[in-house]
Amino acid sequence: MEPVNLFDLATRQSQWLAVRQTAIAGNVANANTPGYLARDVEPFEKVLERTAVSLSATQQGHLGFGATEAAFGTRVQEYDGAILPSKNTVVMETELMKAGEVRRAFELNTAIVKAFHSMLLTVSKG
Amino acid sequence: MDALTATLKIAASGLGAQSERLRIVSENLANAQSTGNFPGADPYQRKTVTFVSELDRVSGGSVVEVGAIDRDPSAFPLEFQPGNVAADENGYVKLPNVNVLIEMADMTEANRSYEANLQVIRQARDLISMTIDLMRTP
Repeated sequence: MEPVNLFDLATRQSQWLAVRQTAIAGNVANANTPGYLARDVEPFEKVLERTAVSLSATQQGHLGFGATEAAFGTRVQEYDGAILPSKNTVVMETELMKAGEVRRAFELNTAIVKAFHSMLLTVSKG
Repeated sequence: MDALTATLKIAASGLGAQSERLRIVSENLANAQSTGNFPGADPYQRKTVTFVSELDRVSGGSVVEVGAIDRDPSAFPLEFQPGNVAADENGYVKLPNVNVLIEMADMTEANRSYEANLQVIRQARDLISMTIDLMRTP
């Protein structure tokens, strides 16, 4: 069956959101660690751009450049706030805001997948 | 390791570190009046806790761990108490360098950080259950 692109996209976004949640958890846990620099995952658009041009594996021997293999790299977040004596750059409010964004995006993601899945079910049940 | 499981692990490390901090605060508060037991003796010296961030190889995230538990090197306040067992020849007693207000502020901050970590765990749990809900038949 021709793979439905939406499921692939939704899977990748939910993976990306999970990695972002991990980055947020790391920042919140290290909110009082001296010298810790807040991290964030690279934007989802960037991930999409990078994996848009990928060779498709048409034979067994082809090396996979599958989009699902894409690891989402985290990097140090830009910081323009006050430099604290502890050199820590975690702003708890920003982290909570990001956590809210992740939650909303994840809810939307699962809702879309659910709707699409029920459409497929309706079609296949007839 | 799956990213959401890693999230739970990292947040749990934060809970552990903050509760260790709370333990040190309670130690300092409990010993806020502990003087020495011979003339001129040093009283209880305030303990401080530091955190270090460590890269967890399994999950790829940065977990937090309690680093060294040090002693606060600031000077002991002196008080004139000639009747005290720890009083020196001039009648002065060294009191612990614990400032109750600082400890209270530290306690509140530890509490807030603990709550933030709990909130992260709650959210990770919700994300996992949202994913599982995809499999439920409507």
